[in-house]
Amino acid sequence: MNPGLPLYARSRALPQTLAALAATTGFAVWAAGALDAYLDPGRRVPVVALAPLLAAAVIGASLRSDSDELDRTAVRPWWPRRLAHLLALTALASAVLPVAVAGHAETFGAPAMIRNILGCVGIVALAAVVLGARLSWLPAFGYVSAAYLASSGARGRAATVWAWPVQPGAQPGAWAAALAAFALGTALYAVRGARPGG
Amino acid sequence: MTTTTVPAAPEAPARTRHPLRAEALRGFPPLAGAAVLLLFGALLPPSADTWQGDWAKTAAQLHTALVIALPFAAAAGCWQGGRERRRRTEELWDTAVRAPLTRLLVSALPVALWVAVGYLLAVGLTTLTSWPYVRGDHPYLSLVPGDTAALMAATLVGHVVGRAARTPLAAPLLGVAGYAGLGTAVYQDAVSPLNPAVPAVDGFWPVWWQPLAMAAWTLGLAFALTLAYAARRRATALLPLAAALAAALLLSTGSGPWRPDPLAHRQVCDTSTTPAVCVNARYSGMLPQVRAALSGVTGKLHGVRSLPARWSDRGTEPRADEAALPMLTPFGWYAVRGRLMKPEQYAWEAVASLRGDCGKEPERVLLADDAVQAYLAPSPLQRDFDADDAKGDAAARARLRASQAARAKLAGMDEQRRRTWLSAYFAARAACDAEGVPSL
Repeated sequence: MNPGLPLYARSRALPQTLAALAATTGFAVWAAGALDAYLDPGRRVPVVALAPLLAAAVIGASLRSDSDELDRTAVRPWWPRRLAHLLALTALASAVLPVAVAGHAETFGAPAMIRNILGCVGIVALAAVVLGARLSWLPAFGYVSAAYLASSGARGRAATVWAWPVQPGAQPGAWAAALAAFALGTALYAVRGARPGG
Repeated sequence: MTTTTVPAAPEAPARTRHPLRAEALRGFPPLAGAAVLLLFGALLPPSADTWQGDWAKTAAQLHTALVIALPFAAAAGCWQGGRERRRRTEELWDTAVRAPLTRLLVSALPVALWVAVGYLLAVGLTTLTSWPYVRGDHPYLSLVPGDTAALMAATLVGHVVGRAARTPLAAPLLGVAGYAGLGTAVYQDAVSPLNPAVPAVDGFWPVWWQPLAMAAWTLGLAFALTLAYAARRRATALLPLAAALAAALLLSTGSGPWRPDPLAHRQVCDTSTTPAVCVNARYSGMLPQVRAALSGVTGKLHGVRSLPARWSDRGTEPRADEAALPMLTPFGWYAVRGRLMKPEQYAWEAVASLRGDCGKEPERVLLADDAVQAYLAPSPLQRDFDADDAKGDAAARARLRASQAARAKLAGMDEQRRRTWLSAYFAARAACDAEGVPSL
């Protein structure tokens, strides 16, 4: 095993991040059960919107480095590590969180959960580049909150794009928006890294 | 040679500004205010069709947004509360001469103030964007003081949590917990009087003391927590706690702080037509547009007897001598930004309400209903319906032929005969007397 890997994991607080992701999954499973969603899959919307937000905040916090200046003196390029870090945690969250919302794939099931994880991670990664990793949760928090409340009065095709966190799983516009956010955020974070000191 | 030197005049002591000024103008607090303003800017425009032009709905939308804004404010406060830990200046601050409470307040109050400023700016901008389209009523600002106090209290509570919690995830965790808490509390009747984000019920507004009591409840709790955490004499926390409990008692006992809006139960009428046209006093300015939309109907009903005395817009079941006017609210369907949309559809629905609902009727009565509807205010979709029937099975085609014949017969009557026929028709329909409906 690469001896640098445990050091990298500790420097990014990855053990705590994994514990927080496990706790988020536990919370999502409990909340989805408490909402009696088998009666109406629409009741899962709070879980499908908030659990990915929390998971993305956890992933965003792990993008921070205490030794930023030292890292930048390294000979090896950082972008593959940054990319692998972000993709691995996103894949892990996408694998475990959908357990909470099994079934109802067309409405608010696993596809919607995975889509929201991708979208939220994209926003968080973008925010880590612009604002810093510590505050990376804030834009995603504001956006998902606003979409959650504002989407109730919004109609039309545009709403399926901007209100992607609260759309059913089979909505192409919502997938396009979330994937675009994920691609942009991941690419920018891989290239630039989190803002130093943030 | 001797030289003389003039002693330099003593310099005036450098003017020191209060640290609160630097805290308020730099760093995170102004950003928190801007974030709250942006949050409302993202929340309200998508549903603008439903609140622009309606003062009551505008105020309700601003208040409902607290479900999102309160956890957001708490998260912002929590972020500021963790600042010294992030900067690793906690130990340095512990050596300062200022008391812990003073240090906490100097750091916390600017965020609370900027959050309040962001909210008040959002209220101001929302009010301004609603104003040009309003057709009656008055601005409802009675909830604003209590909501502002609740936002400041959430920021203060968040700050204390941020100081006490030693995790970088404290702020988003507090925010998500806030969403979950407020989202659950909405469905709990027992705590709704104490919930600062409880949704406003249409047609009900708080009494004058509700904002004061809500402010005492939320700020009292926040100050109690702050004093218990940072004050030298922690017993002082009992004072705001007592105020909060007294306010909670006031809010949750008796008939509660919400009362029906008297204006919502008043009608503004134009009695020059038959039937008279009445709209809710909250939208009195819509009366000319409603009257114009119904002018074709009222013109044709001139001289007809046995009609309801008026169309009324009460939001509940119409009275005995009234027919229900198609509801103008919620805005976004018939009324958008002070303009009546779909006037033909509106008139069609108004005519449908004239004959009342008597349950299942025989085919002969349905034909008469269709002819009257087509004569007074045909549906904008009538051609489509007829085209569908023409392409349908034999029964549908036969029904269409009978309908067209009945419509033609009613339209072809002379004025006097048609008035007599319509009077008999409305008399029979008002009594739900199917046998009494004259044939065509």
